[in-house]
Amino acid sequence: MENSGSPGRNQYEMKNLLYNKYFQLALRFIIGATFIYASVAKLFHPAEFAKAILRYDMLPVFIVNIQAVIMPWLEFFIGLLLILGIFKKGTSLLASISLVVFLIALTSASVRGLDISCGCFSLEETSSKGDILFRIIQDIFMLLGTVIIYLFSGKPKTDGTNPPAEQV
Amino acid sequence: MKVFKQVIAVFIFSAVIALIVNAVNPKGVPLILEKNIYKQDTTSKSNVGDFINDPYDTTTKPSQFFGGKKNKQGFIEPENISSVLAKQLYDRKALFIDARTKLEYDTLHIKDAVNISYMDFYPKSTAERVDVMKKFGKSGIIIVYCNGGTCEVSIDLAYEIAKLGYNNVSIYKGGITEWKTLGHPVETNMK
Repeated sequence: MENSGSPGRNQYEMKNLLYNKYFQLALRFIIGATFIYASVAKLFHPAEFAKAILRYDMLPVFIVNIQAVIMPWLEFFIGLLLILGIFKKGTSLLASISLVVFLIALTSASVRGLDISCGCFSLEETSSKGDILFRIIQDIFMLLGTVIIYLFSGKPKTDGTNPPAEQV
Repeated sequence: MKVFKQVIAVFIFSAVIALIVNAVNPKGVPLILEKNIYKQDTTSKSNVGDFINDPYDTTTKPSQFFGGKKNKQGFIEPENISSVLAKQLYDRKALFIDARTKLEYDTLHIKDAVNISYMDFYPKSTAERVDVMKKFGKSGIIIVYCNGGTCEVSIDLAYEIAKLGYNNVSIYKGGITEWKTLGHPVETNMK
Protein backbone atom coordinates (compact mmCIF):
# COMPACT_ATOMS: atom_id res chain seq x y z
CA MET A 1 0.00 0.00 0.00
CA GLU A 2 3.05 2.28 0.05
CA ASN A 3 2.24 3.29 -3.51
CA SER A 4 -1.17 4.61 -2.52
CA GLY A 5 -1.70 8.18 -3.67
CA SER A 6 0.96 8.16 -6.36
CA PRO A 7 -0.20 9.02 -9.91
CA GLY A 8 0.51 5.52 -11.10
CA ARG A 9 -1.61 4.02 -8.40
CA ASN A 10 -4.51 6.40 -9.07
CA GLN A 11 -4.41 5.63 -12.74
CA TYR A 12 -4.43 1.96 -11.96
CA GLU A 13 -7.42 2.29 -9.65
CA MET A 14 -9.29 4.33 -12.25
CA LYS A 15 -8.62 1.69 -14.86
CA ASN A 16 -9.70 -0.95 -12.43
CA LEU A 17 -13.01 0.82 -11.92
CA LEU A 18 -13.61 1.16 -15.63
CA TYR A 19 -12.95 -2.55 -16.13
CA ASN A 20 -15.01 -3.49 -13.07
CA LYS A 21 -17.77 -5.79 -14.25
CA TYR A 22 -20.41 -4.27 -11.96
CA PHE A 23 -19.55 -0.79 -13.16
CA GLN A 24 -19.77 -2.02 -16.74
CA LEU A 25 -23.07 -3.76 -16.01
CA ALA A 26 -24.57 -0.64 -14.43
CA LEU A 27 -23.43 1.49 -17.35
CA ARG A 28 -24.78 -0.95 -19.90
CA PHE A 29 -28.08 -1.18 -18.05
CA ILE A 30 -28.56 2.60 -17.77
CA ILE A 31 -27.68 3.30 -21.39
CA GLY A 32 -29.51 0.23 -22.68
CA ALA A 33 -32.66 1.15 -20.77
CA THR A 34 -32.46 4.72 -22.10
CA PHE A 35 -32.19 3.42 -25.65
CA ILE A 36 -35.18 1.11 -25.20
CA TYR A 37 -37.19 3.84 -23.51
CA ALA A 38 -36.40 6.21 -26.37
CA SER A 39 -37.46 3.68 -28.98
CA VAL A 40 -40.77 2.59 -27.48
CA ALA A 41 -42.87 5.62 -28.48
CA LYS A 42 -41.56 5.42 -32.03
CA LEU A 43 -41.62 1.68 -32.76
CA PHE A 44 -45.17 1.59 -34.04
CA HIS A 45 -45.64 5.23 -35.07
CA PRO A 46 -43.26 5.79 -37.98
CA ALA A 47 -45.34 8.63 -39.47
CA GLU A 48 -45.09 10.78 -36.35
CA PHE A 49 -41.39 10.05 -36.06
CA ALA A 50 -40.91 10.93 -39.74
CA LYS A 51 -42.42 14.33 -39.02
CA ALA A 52 -40.03 14.80 -36.13
CA ILE A 53 -37.10 13.98 -38.44
CA LEU A 54 -38.43 16.28 -41.15
CA ARG A 55 -38.56 19.17 -38.71
CA TYR A 56 -34.77 18.97 -38.50
CA ASP A 57 -34.72 19.71 -42.21
CA MET A 58 -31.42 17.88 -42.71
CA LEU A 59 -32.05 14.81 -44.81
CA PRO A 60 -33.35 14.45 -48.33
CA VAL A 61 -37.07 13.81 -48.15
CA PHE A 62 -37.01 10.36 -49.72
CA ILE A 63 -34.74 8.97 -46.97
CA VAL A 64 -36.82 10.22 -44.08
CA ASN A 65 -39.47 7.51 -43.98
CA ILE A 66 -37.03 4.63 -44.21
CA GLN A 67 -35.04 6.18 -41.40
CA ALA A 68 -38.20 6.62 -39.36
CA VAL A 69 -38.96 2.93 -39.85
CA ILE A 70 -35.52 1.50 -39.08
CA MET A 71 -34.08 3.85 -36.48
CA PRO A 72 -36.47 2.99 -33.60
CA TRP A 73 -35.87 -0.75 -34.01
CA LEU A 74 -32.15 -0.20 -34.20
CA GLU A 75 -32.34 1.78 -30.96
CA PHE A 76 -34.47 -0.94 -29.41
CA PHE A 77 -32.06 -3.75 -30.26
CA ILE A 78 -29.03 -1.70 -29.31
CA GLY A 79 -30.65 -1.19 -25.89
CA LEU A 80 -31.64 -4.81 -25.52
CA LEU A 81 -28.24 -6.17 -26.53
CA LEU A 82 -26.45 -3.71 -24.26
CA ILE A 83 -28.49 -4.87 -21.28
CA LEU A 84 -28.06 -8.53 -22.15
CA GLY A 85 -24.36 -8.00 -22.76
CA ILE A 86 -24.39 -9.60 -26.17
CA PHE A 87 -21.96 -8.28 -28.81
CA LYS A 88 -20.77 -5.68 -26.31
CA LYS A 89 -18.11 -4.18 -28.57
CA GLY A 90 -20.23 -4.06 -31.69
CA THR A 91 -23.33 -2.79 -29.92
CA SER A 92 -21.50 -0.09 -27.99
CA LEU A 93 -19.81 1.02 -31.19
CA LEU A 94 -23.18 1.17 -32.97
CA ALA A 95 -24.63 3.07 -30.00
CA SER A 96 -21.73 5.52 -30.13
CA ILE A 97 -22.24 6.08 -33.85
CA SER A 98 -25.97 6.70 -33.32
CA LEU A 99 -25.27 9.11 -30.49
CA VAL A 100 -22.77 11.02 -32.62
CA VAL A 101 -25.38 11.27 -35.38
CA PHE A 102 -28.00 12.50 -32.88
CA LEU A 103 -25.48 14.96 -31.49
CA ILE A 104 -24.79 16.38 -34.95
CA ALA A 105 -28.52 16.69 -35.66
CA LEU A 106 -29.27 18.31 -32.30
CA THR A 107 -26.34 20.72 -32.47
CA SER A 108 -27.19 21.69 -36.02
CA ALA A 109 -30.81 22.33 -35.04
CA SER A 110 -29.69 24.36 -32.08
CA VAL A 111 -27.18 26.41 -34.09
CA ARG A 112 -29.75 27.12 -36.80
CA GLY A 113 -32.12 28.21 -34.07
CA LEU A 114 -34.82 25.77 -35.14
CA ASP A 115 -37.64 25.86 -32.65
CA ILE A 116 -38.36 22.18 -32.74
CA SER A 117 -38.86 19.45 -30.23
CA CYS A 118 -36.19 16.80 -30.03
CA GLY A 119 -38.24 13.81 -31.12
CA CYS A 120 -35.87 11.77 -28.98
CA PHE A 121 -38.14 10.25 -26.39
CA SER A 122 -41.63 11.35 -27.17
CA LEU A 123 -43.23 12.56 -30.34
CA GLU A 124 -45.05 15.47 -28.77
CA GLU A 125 -44.40 18.77 -30.48
CA THR A 126 -44.79 20.75 -27.33
CA SER A 127 -41.29 21.21 -26.09
CA SER A 128 -38.98 24.15 -26.19
CA LYS A 129 -35.49 25.09 -27.31
CA GLY A 130 -34.32 24.37 -23.77
CA ASP A 131 -35.27 20.78 -24.45
CA ILE A 132 -32.74 20.60 -27.31
CA LEU A 133 -29.92 21.94 -25.13
CA PHE A 134 -30.75 19.47 -22.39
CA ARG A 135 -30.78 16.63 -24.92
CA ILE A 136 -27.37 17.69 -26.23
CA ILE A 137 -25.88 17.45 -22.75
CA GLN A 138 -27.62 14.13 -22.14
CA ASP A 139 -26.35 12.85 -25.47
CA ILE A 140 -22.75 13.77 -24.59
CA PHE A 141 -22.95 11.87 -21.29
CA MET A 142 -24.43 8.83 -22.98
CA LEU A 143 -21.73 8.98 -25.63
CA LEU A 144 -19.10 9.01 -22.90
CA GLY A 145 -20.77 5.92 -21.42
CA THR A 146 -20.87 3.97 -24.68
CA VAL A 147 -17.23 4.83 -25.40
CA ILE A 148 -16.28 3.50 -21.93
CA ILE A 149 -18.21 0.30 -22.63
CA TYR A 150 -16.48 -0.04 -25.98
CA LEU A 151 -12.99 0.51 -24.59
CA PHE A 152 -13.20 -1.24 -21.25
CA SER A 153 -15.59 -4.15 -21.65
CA GLY A 154 -13.86 -7.49 -21.45
CA LYS A 155 -10.56 -8.38 -19.79
CA PRO A 156 -8.17 -5.58 -18.91
CA LYS A 157 -4.88 -5.51 -20.77
CA THR A 158 -1.79 -5.53 -18.61
CA ASP A 159 1.06 -3.47 -19.94
CA GLY A 160 3.60 -4.40 -17.30
CA THR A 161 3.79 -0.96 -15.70
CA ASN A 162 0.77 -1.41 -13.48
CA PRO A 163 -0.02 -4.28 -11.19
CA PRO A 164 -2.51 -6.69 -12.76
CA ALA A 165 -6.10 -5.72 -12.10
CA GLU A 166 -7.70 -7.52 -9.19
CA GLN A 167 -10.60 -9.69 -10.20
CA VAL A 168 -13.79 -8.84 -8.36
CA MET B 1 -13.02 -7.01 -37.82
CA LYS B 2 -15.12 -8.97 -35.37
CA VAL B 3 -16.59 -5.71 -34.07
CA PHE B 4 -17.39 -4.62 -37.60
CA LYS B 5 -19.25 -7.88 -38.23
CA GLN B 6 -21.24 -7.40 -35.04
CA VAL B 7 -22.22 -3.88 -36.10
CA ILE B 8 -23.39 -5.12 -39.50
CA ALA B 9 -25.25 -8.06 -37.94
CA VAL B 10 -27.13 -5.90 -35.42
CA PHE B 11 -27.94 -3.34 -38.09
CA ILE B 12 -29.25 -5.85 -40.61
CA PHE B 13 -31.24 -7.72 -37.97
CA SER B 14 -32.87 -4.49 -36.76
CA ALA B 15 -33.61 -3.36 -40.30
CA VAL B 16 -35.26 -6.67 -41.21
CA ILE B 17 -37.47 -6.62 -38.09
CA ALA B 18 -38.29 -2.95 -38.72
CA LEU B 19 -39.34 -3.61 -42.33
CA ILE B 20 -41.47 -6.60 -41.34
CA VAL B 21 -43.20 -4.65 -38.56
CA ASN B 22 -43.77 -1.70 -40.88
CA ALA B 23 -45.31 -4.01 -43.47
CA VAL B 24 -47.82 -5.48 -41.00
CA ASN B 25 -48.38 -2.32 -38.95
CA PRO B 26 -51.67 -0.65 -40.00
CA LYS B 27 -49.91 2.65 -39.26
CA GLY B 28 -46.94 1.67 -41.42
CA VAL B 29 -45.58 4.20 -43.89
CA PRO B 30 -44.39 3.97 -47.50
CA LEU B 31 -40.63 3.62 -47.40
CA ILE B 32 -40.00 6.33 -49.94
CA LEU B 33 -41.61 9.66 -49.20
CA GLU B 34 -42.34 11.45 -52.47
CA LYS B 35 -43.05 14.89 -51.21
CA ASN B 36 -42.33 16.68 -48.01
CA ILE B 37 -45.83 17.41 -46.89
CA TYR B 38 -44.62 18.58 -43.51
CA LYS B 39 -42.14 21.21 -44.67
CA GLN B 40 -42.32 24.63 -43.04
CA ASP B 41 -42.89 27.84 -44.99
CA THR B 42 -41.65 26.94 -48.44
CA THR B 43 -42.28 30.33 -49.93
CA SER B 44 -39.62 32.96 -49.48
CA LYS B 45 -42.10 35.74 -50.21
CA SER B 46 -42.70 37.98 -47.25
CA ASN B 47 -44.07 41.11 -48.84
CA VAL B 48 -46.96 40.81 -51.23
CA GLY B 49 -47.31 44.38 -52.48
CA ASP B 50 -50.59 46.23 -52.49
CA PHE B 51 -52.81 44.40 -54.98
CA ILE B 52 -56.30 43.32 -54.05
CA ASN B 53 -57.10 39.72 -54.79
CA ASP B 54 -60.52 38.66 -55.96
CA PRO B 55 -61.04 34.96 -55.41
CA TYR B 56 -64.31 35.07 -57.32
CA ASP B 57 -62.77 36.50 -60.48
CA THR B 58 -62.82 33.50 -62.76
CA THR B 59 -60.81 34.99 -65.63
CA THR B 60 -57.46 33.30 -65.93
CA LYS B 61 -54.51 35.60 -65.47
CA PRO B 62 -51.10 34.94 -66.97
CA SER B 63 -48.97 35.41 -63.89
CA GLN B 64 -49.06 33.13 -60.92
CA PHE B 65 -48.52 34.68 -57.57
CA PHE B 66 -46.28 31.98 -56.18
CA GLY B 67 -44.53 31.42 -59.48
CA GLY B 68 -44.67 27.67 -59.02
CA LYS B 69 -43.84 25.29 -61.83
CA LYS B 70 -46.06 22.40 -62.68
CA ASN B 71 -44.80 19.12 -61.30
CA LYS B 72 -44.70 15.77 -63.13
CA GLN B 73 -48.36 15.20 -62.35
CA GLY B 74 -49.24 18.46 -64.06
CA PHE B 75 -50.26 20.69 -61.19
CA ILE B 76 -48.60 23.42 -59.18
CA GLU B 77 -47.80 22.18 -55.71
CA PRO B 78 -49.14 24.18 -52.80
CA GLU B 79 -46.59 26.07 -50.74
CA ASN B 80 -46.53 26.59 -47.01
CA ILE B 81 -46.80 30.14 -45.86
CA SER B 82 -45.99 31.88 -42.60
CA SER B 83 -48.50 33.70 -40.42
CA VAL B 84 -47.03 37.02 -41.58
CA LEU B 85 -47.67 36.26 -45.24
CA ALA B 86 -51.05 34.74 -44.43
CA LYS B 87 -52.10 37.96 -42.73
CA GLN B 88 -50.85 40.10 -45.62
CA LEU B 89 -52.80 37.97 -48.08
CA TYR B 90 -55.81 38.07 -45.77
CA ASP B 91 -55.70 41.86 -45.88
CA ARG B 92 -55.69 41.63 -49.68
CA LYS B 93 -58.82 39.52 -49.70
CA ALA B 94 -57.26 36.15 -50.40
CA LEU B 95 -59.67 33.25 -50.10
CA PHE B 96 -59.23 31.30 -46.88
CA ILE B 97 -60.57 27.76 -46.91
CA ASP B 98 -61.17 25.95 -43.64
CA ALA B 99 -60.53 22.25 -44.28
CA ARG B 100 -61.98 21.03 -40.98
CA THR B 101 -65.43 19.65 -40.32
CA LYS B 102 -68.48 21.91 -40.32
CA LEU B 103 -68.79 21.68 -36.54
CA GLU B 104 -65.21 22.82 -36.04
CA TYR B 105 -65.70 25.57 -38.61
CA ASP B 106 -68.89 26.76 -36.92
CA THR B 107 -67.20 26.86 -33.56
CA LEU B 108 -64.42 29.17 -34.69
CA HIS B 109 -62.86 30.09 -38.00
CA ILE B 110 -60.82 32.80 -39.66
CA LYS B 111 -63.19 35.66 -40.46
CA ASP B 112 -64.69 35.35 -43.97
CA ALA B 113 -63.14 31.93 -44.52
CA VAL B 114 -65.26 29.38 -46.37
CA ASN B 115 -65.65 25.82 -45.17
CA ILE B 116 -64.73 22.96 -47.45
CA SER B 117 -64.37 19.99 -45.18
CA TYR B 118 -61.76 17.57 -46.47
CA MET B 119 -63.79 14.73 -44.97
CA ASP B 120 -66.66 15.66 -47.30
CA PHE B 121 -64.50 16.72 -50.24
CA TYR B 122 -62.31 13.64 -50.42
CA PRO B 123 -65.03 11.08 -51.32
CA LYS B 124 -66.39 13.27 -54.10
CA SER B 125 -65.79 12.53 -57.79
CA THR B 126 -63.66 14.90 -59.82
CA ALA B 127 -66.78 16.39 -61.45
CA GLU B 128 -68.32 17.07 -58.05
CA ARG B 129 -65.08 18.60 -56.82
CA VAL B 130 -64.93 20.88 -59.85
CA ASP B 131 -68.51 21.88 -59.08
CA VAL B 132 -67.67 22.79 -55.48
CA MET B 133 -64.75 24.91 -56.59
CA LYS B 134 -66.14 26.44 -59.79
CA LYS B 135 -67.15 29.73 -58.18
CA PHE B 136 -63.52 30.47 -57.38
CA GLY B 137 -61.06 31.78 -59.93
CA LYS B 138 -58.16 29.50 -60.77
CA SER B 139 -55.66 32.34 -60.54
CA GLY B 140 -56.99 33.63 -57.25
CA ILE B 141 -54.97 33.20 -54.11
CA ILE B 142 -56.30 30.36 -52.00
CA ILE B 143 -55.05 29.60 -48.53
CA VAL B 144 -56.07 26.38 -46.85
CA TYR B 145 -55.79 25.89 -43.12
CA CYS B 146 -56.93 23.59 -40.32
CA ASN B 147 -56.24 23.51 -36.60
CA GLY B 148 -52.49 23.99 -36.85
CA GLY B 149 -49.82 21.86 -35.26
CA THR B 150 -49.88 18.42 -36.78
CA CYS B 151 -53.26 18.54 -38.51
CA GLU B 152 -52.98 17.39 -42.08
CA VAL B 153 -56.35 18.02 -43.68
CA SER B 154 -55.17 21.45 -44.86
CA ILE B 155 -52.29 19.81 -46.71
CA ASP B 156 -54.49 17.11 -48.19
CA LEU B 157 -57.20 19.53 -49.27
CA ALA B 158 -54.69 22.00 -50.71
CA TYR B 159 -53.21 19.27 -52.90
CA GLU B 160 -56.64 18.12 -54.09
CA ILE B 161 -57.59 21.69 -55.00
CA ALA B 162 -54.27 22.29 -56.75
CA LYS B 163 -54.83 19.13 -58.79
CA LEU B 164 -58.01 20.71 -60.17
CA GLY B 165 -55.83 23.39 -61.78
CA TYR B 166 -55.83 26.10 -59.13
CA ASN B 167 -52.54 27.91 -59.46
CA ASN B 168 -52.07 29.81 -56.24
CA VAL B 169 -52.94 27.38 -53.50
CA SER B 170 -50.99 27.58 -50.30
CA ILE B 171 -51.14 26.04 -46.88
CA TYR B 172 -51.17 28.03 -43.69
CA LYS B 173 -49.79 25.50 -41.25
CA GLY B 174 -50.20 27.66 -38.18
CA GLY B 175 -53.91 27.24 -38.66
CA ILE B 176 -56.71 28.64 -36.58
CA THR B 177 -54.78 28.14 -33.34
CA GLU B 178 -51.89 30.42 -34.33
CA TRP B 179 -54.21 32.87 -36.07
CA LYS B 180 -56.31 33.28 -32.92
CA THR B 181 -53.21 33.57 -30.71
CA LEU B 182 -51.96 36.41 -32.92
CA GLY B 183 -55.23 38.21 -32.39
CA HIS B 184 -56.21 38.23 -36.07
CA PRO B 185 -59.91 38.38 -36.99
CA VAL B 186 -61.94 35.26 -36.23
CA GLU B 187 -65.63 34.56 -36.13
CA THR B 188 -68.03 31.92 -34.90
CA ASN B 189 -71.38 30.72 -36.14
CA MET B 190 -72.42 29.66 -32.64
CA LYS B 191 -75.00 31.76 -30.96
